[in-house]
Amino acid sequence: MTNTFKALSALLAYPTAEIREAAEDIRAIIHDERLAPIWALNRLDRLIDELESLDLYELQERYVFLFDRTRSLSLHLFEHVHGESRDRGQAMVDLRALYERAGLEIAANELPDYIPLFLEFLSTRPIGEARALLAEPIAVIVALKERLMRRKSPYATVFIALEQIAENAPRPKDLEELRRAPDDDPRDLAALDEAWEEAAVTFGPSSEDGCPATREVLARMHRGEAMMQPSRRQEDAR
Amino acid sequence: MSHILNRLTFFKNRAGSFSGGHGVVTREDRSWEDAYRKRWQHDKIVRSTHGVNCTGSCSWKIYVKGGIVTWETQQTDYPRTRPDLPNHEPRGCSRGASYSWYLYSGNRLKFPLIRSQLLKAWRAARATLTPVAAWASIVENPETRAAYVKKRGLGGFVRANWNEANEIIAAANAYTAKKYGPDRVIGFSPIPAMSMISYAAGSRYLSLLGGVCMSFYDWYCDLPPSSPQTWGEQTDVPESADWYNSGFLILWGSNVPQTRTPDAHFYTEVRYKGAKSVVVSPDYSEASKFADIWLSPKQGTDSALALALGHVVLKEFYIDRQVPYFQDYARRYTDMPMLVRLEKKDGRLVPGRFVRASDFDDALGETNNAEWKTVVIDEATGRVAAPRGSIGFRWGEQGKWNLEEKAGDGAPLRPRLSLIDARDEAVDVAFPYFGGRAHEYFEHVEHPEILERRVPARRMALKDGETLVATVFDLFLANYGVDRGLGGANVAKSYDDNVPYTPAWQEKITGVAREQAIMVAREFARNAEVTNGKSMVILGAGLNHWYHMDMNYRGIINLLAMCGCVGQSGGGWSHYVGQEKLRPQTGWLPLAFALDWARPPRQMNSTSFFYAHTDQWRYETLDVKEILSPLAPQGRWSGALIDFNARAERMGWLPSAPQLERNPLEVAREARKADLDAKDYVVRELKSGALRLSCDDPDNPINWPRNLFVWRSNLLGASGKGHEYFLKHLVGASHGVQGKDLGETGGQKPEEVVWRDEAPEGKLDLLVTLDFRMSTTCVYSDIVLPTATWYEKHDLNTSDMHPFIHPLTAAVDPLWESRTDWAIFKGIAEAFSRVAPEVLGVEEDVVLTPILHDTPGEIAQATDVRDWKRGEIEPAPGRTMPQIAVVERDYPNLYKRFTALGPLMTQIGNGGKGISWNTEHEVEALRCLNGEVTEEGPTKGLPRIESDIDATEVVLMLAPETNGEVAVKAWEALGKATGRTHAHLAVPKEDEKIRFRDIVAQPRKIISSPIWSGIESEKVCYNAGYTNVHELIPWRTLTGRQQLYQDHLWMRAFGEGFCVYRPPIDTKTIKPMLAERSNGEKEIVLNFITPHQKWGIHSTYTDNLLMLTLSRGGPIVWINEDDARKAGIEDNDWIEAYNLNGALTARAVVSQRVKPGMMLMYHAQEKVVNVPGSEITGQRGGIHNSVTRAVLKPTHMIGGYAQLSYGFNYYGTVGSNRDEFVVVRKMKNVDWMDEPAKPHMEAAE
Repeated sequence: MTNTFKALSALLAYPTAEIREAAEDIRAIIHDERLAPIWALNRLDRLIDELESLDLYELQERYVFLFDRTRSLSLHLFEHVHGESRDRGQAMVDLRALYERAGLEIAANELPDYIPLFLEFLSTRPIGEARALLAEPIAVIVALKERLMRRKSPYATVFIALEQIAENAPRPKDLEELRRAPDDDPRDLAALDEAWEEAAVTFGPSSEDGCPATREVLARMHRGEAMMQPSRRQEDAR
Repeated sequence: MSHILNRLTFFKNRAGSFSGGHGVVTREDRSWEDAYRKRWQHDKIVRSTHGVNCTGSCSWKIYVKGGIVTWETQQTDYPRTRPDLPNHEPRGCSRGASYSWYLYSGNRLKFPLIRSQLLKAWRAARATLTPVAAWASIVENPETRAAYVKKRGLGGFVRANWNEANEIIAAANAYTAKKYGPDRVIGFSPIPAMSMISYAAGSRYLSLLGGVCMSFYDWYCDLPPSSPQTWGEQTDVPESADWYNSGFLILWGSNVPQTRTPDAHFYTEVRYKGAKSVVVSPDYSEASKFADIWLSPKQGTDSALALALGHVVLKEFYIDRQVPYFQDYARRYTDMPMLVRLEKKDGRLVPGRFVRASDFDDALGETNNAEWKTVVIDEATGRVAAPRGSIGFRWGEQGKWNLEEKAGDGAPLRPRLSLIDARDEAVDVAFPYFGGRAHEYFEHVEHPEILERRVPARRMALKDGETLVATVFDLFLANYGVDRGLGGANVAKSYDDNVPYTPAWQEKITGVAREQAIMVAREFARNAEVTNGKSMVILGAGLNHWYHMDMNYRGIINLLAMCGCVGQSGGGWSHYVGQEKLRPQTGWLPLAFALDWARPPRQMNSTSFFYAHTDQWRYETLDVKEILSPLAPQGRWSGALIDFNARAERMGWLPSAPQLERNPLEVAREARKADLDAKDYVVRELKSGALRLSCDDPDNPINWPRNLFVWRSNLLGASGKGHEYFLKHLVGASHGVQGKDLGETGGQKPEEVVWRDEAPEGKLDLLVTLDFRMSTTCVYSDIVLPTATWYEKHDLNTSDMHPFIHPLTAAVDPLWESRTDWAIFKGIAEAFSRVAPEVLGVEEDVVLTPILHDTPGEIAQATDVRDWKRGEIEPAPGRTMPQIAVVERDYPNLYKRFTALGPLMTQIGNGGKGISWNTEHEVEALRCLNGEVTEEGPTKGLPRIESDIDATEVVLMLAPETNGEVAVKAWEALGKATGRTHAHLAVPKEDEKIRFRDIVAQPRKIISSPIWSGIESEKVCYNAGYTNVHELIPWRTLTGRQQLYQDHLWMRAFGEGFCVYRPPIDTKTIKPMLAERSNGEKEIVLNFITPHQKWGIHSTYTDNLLMLTLSRGGPIVWINEDDARKAGIEDNDWIEAYNLNGALTARAVVSQRVKPGMMLMYHAQEKVVNVPGSEITGQRGGIHNSVTRAVLKPTHMIGGYAQLSYGFNYYGTVGSNRDEFVVVRKMKNVDWMDEPAKPHMEAAE
């Protein structure tokens, strides 16, 4: 059992009085286990301090605004990988199967790809395996970190820590694709506009032409799939 | 070794090549294929559908794997059709196929949310106070109230738990009922047909409470008032399969391939069969591609075209030549032979009201309801008689309400259509003409505003002296300007004469070539002639959303009636807008409005309600004089539109909500104290002026609606005509209203309704919304409750497009903290029963209802309009004013009542549309099926309604459409009134009882019932009016026939006795804005049109990125390339469209497809998706409703008059919006308003 994952899971959960009371324990566990470089762990202090000091309603409002209402900050991993693609269902089925193989069943009314839930799962695994598992969605973790940093949100520190704990860095291509995805924060609407910019329609015999809308959709779906199954592809390559 | 042992006998080696070396066998690993195999694996398939307000009603297979929904595909197991009719399946479109993502979407609402300011205040108060006292302390303190009211639309949500949220809501409701009255608790939910139980959950709670359920069909402007006017029927239409039986189809303002995707195949198939297809649409719509003839009239001028078509048909098929089928049909099934009094008005003769039996000294021998029996002349004997079937025969006597060709006394009767060969004289009769009025953006054709035409007439000795009378037929032809050979002015010798309403006359107004109009009219009628009425018009919102929609529709209805198409398979009108068809209606009503516990329920027409309570009336620019007929009879026609509405409310025409200035619970107590019957007490108080109706002073805080529930709807977004006024006055949020109210502009204020200089902002104490996504309405709510999606609940679904009933079923349990609507309202009811005893016990509630259609009371005000408030008549409940009833509310037991089927079903029975039957047997069956309540208390022994499935069984068991035994009872009940036998339509299905599990197995065809005017059979498709024509059941109108002449005083006053052309109204929202707020770009003025879209259904799906990717992302408008050039706009530019009502921003799609002068914005794009800031309002750009404002029409307020009597979603004011214009210009700066936490942020994040 690695308690750091459990502690980070608590930090990313909806802030309640119970979690607030556990703030000092969270701090202690993280520093005791020291899964990440000390600089990364120290940065968590700001979030933990706020958890202790700010008005609970304020914390909750902020949480709802960030994670319940801002789609590009969704704490569901596959929101960023599959979006509204049909593959999302299958991906969740696979993830749930992973938990089941480890003898765990989901008791909360949550989806398998909810990050705090995923972190809790990691806390039950041997540290080596946990680091490896965490590396799989690392591109999403880093993308969320970047989006939260742009907002100067202390929640970014959780993702900084996770990035450090994970076994591998994200593959540049995966991260690039996520970076290109629209970020629907009101403070970043210009980027959103760009994301919606339409490619010009051209008609012609070339097989590369044709309907740009379709091409775009297909490209998006491929991207989703490519990022979804890195491990499987690695296996195939072996 | 033997050879045989050396070689393989049963195998061969799998290697090498085959097919002469063209194929090579390899030994690659094929395990990768498993990914594809697994891709389509699933654990189970569940049947459900998409309960958006989509008329499609398609059944879907939902695939579930490991408890997770993976995808959906179309169901293909609809019951087969008969030979020579294509099957219904496949049904389902790209919109439905992209739904499964919605469940897991990042946009999904996962937890109950509440504004933190409210929650904080609540917890603080609740620490020391009981729930209702806690709520009182919050809303009675202006500061705490403002603390959360002012935050509406500005974010600040935190999660709440269900118990807490329910308690707050319950406390607010109890407080409001105690302090102001239960009728200050309001609920809005639309389109019950799509998920009946989800609707019923909220309406059942509200009805038990005494709260108000709001209408939707009229508010959405999907109700065509012409239907109740003509047929006494809300809307009844052919199923889409009946298109296949047609020989000539006109698509008029309807875009079948785009908006009726799953049904469009019937339209394709019938064209293969040889049917002719005409499309009437101003823009080159998707449907236009499939037309043999495309007519492109100027938008909003359709009635001019329809009248010209009618002119041609009347001339060629009624005058030049008589078609026996048409003559017979007009005589038997329309009011054309009925006699009309010609009255003097300023020295001219004008058509007055219908002659009634009571106009004769002997009342023509009619002793029952003689005032309500219209009169004809018998062709053979010349006898004047009252033919059977008029509404006087419907009530107070039995066996004569039918369309047999007989007089009341049973003598045979062949009504004379025209008096031309039996006239005493030919007289000039005056008709109003509105087509000469100049409009800045519409063409007009000069003619005097009064046109006299010669009509054959008879002198008749009536009680009040000798009177000239004419038949509707002769007046009708005169109105069309058809020459009868009687001389006189204003009739056309030729189609080329510029006389209203010839093909030449319409040319200038509509832009349609006269030759085309003539050809279409001829072929349409000719097809009807040779097929006995198989010509059909599919008409839609494109016509109905105009202020004068009745003229567009009646012009077309006239055409269909002339050609004998209504009630014939393959013919008639098809209006598929707004999905009104809840097929098992009479089974559903008791559940939905708690009629099993108390009657009557409180129901309100939304248009009048929102007009008053979002204070749109304070900005009214339409003067009643502008729409009044130049021939208006003597009467009181002064005052503002809201004055007319208030008059209608007090005369018992329209409903009221809130109803009285005082709490109705208090009023009941006062009556008891005064030792008076509540009815007498209210009459006394109202008459003396000691008590007033709330409608007289809508801005008085005692008359405000206080609590509002919104569920299954985006009321403030897609459905909020006058969106910015909602925000400003009802919600109290920041808004984009540009105009000033009448107080500030010094405009003409209402005559009777109280004007308060200070306009209220934020009338609502509590706004609660149930949704599964963060819609525009949620953004402005105080409490947002997460509901189950359509794959997480059990419910029922029907449509007018096909005859099947099928379910929504839960593929998975509601995700996160979401609950089904049924569970949510059950939970609120439970909390309410716990909280209420603090202030409420068993109470008496005084309920006012208008005079209702399909009840004996509907024959209330026969020949005149008299206002009791002005002393013109005595106030008499249910006759000259609203009906008054006292209803018992058992507040502590509200929850128990919610979950049990009440005793009134056994005591009073069930029924609908004016017929009733005993339903004890069904209640008993439900007791066995659902089990009975065993807990002690007032509901012990009654059938349970615990779960949503229990609720579906109540509907299915009680409804004739799903229980053959009830159908037979219902037909027998109708047979008593008509004196004919109809039960043969249902007897073969008497033993069929459809249960929830049956429709889960397969969609079921419903059973024929007298609630609807078509039948389900193996011989014909469902078609409206079929039983009227073939079973001789009268239409539920004054004359009992299809009523083409509207003789009510207000109809005549506003010039709509007969169908005439009326140009769009001037909403006056442009001039004050033109060149006033320049950003340096060129400004143009365009008509603002909001059709249904391809990539979403209302606002649902328009936030689906997949769908948006197929279109352009974010809000777009379509404009013509010429207009674009004028304004220097290029394709994909950001533009701003604005007027006095508000502003919106969008990208321009520049296309030849759109007619110059108009701008299309697909309804309804969301404020939550990609909207930049407006330069006009300084707010995030509005939605399509930001530039609209509802304008009421007085003729829609009429009541107490046969078919023109109120019914919920049946008649009433409608929220038209297409007469609106906008200033359009290119945006200079596209500002994404990317500063944090400004007041405008939330609404668009």
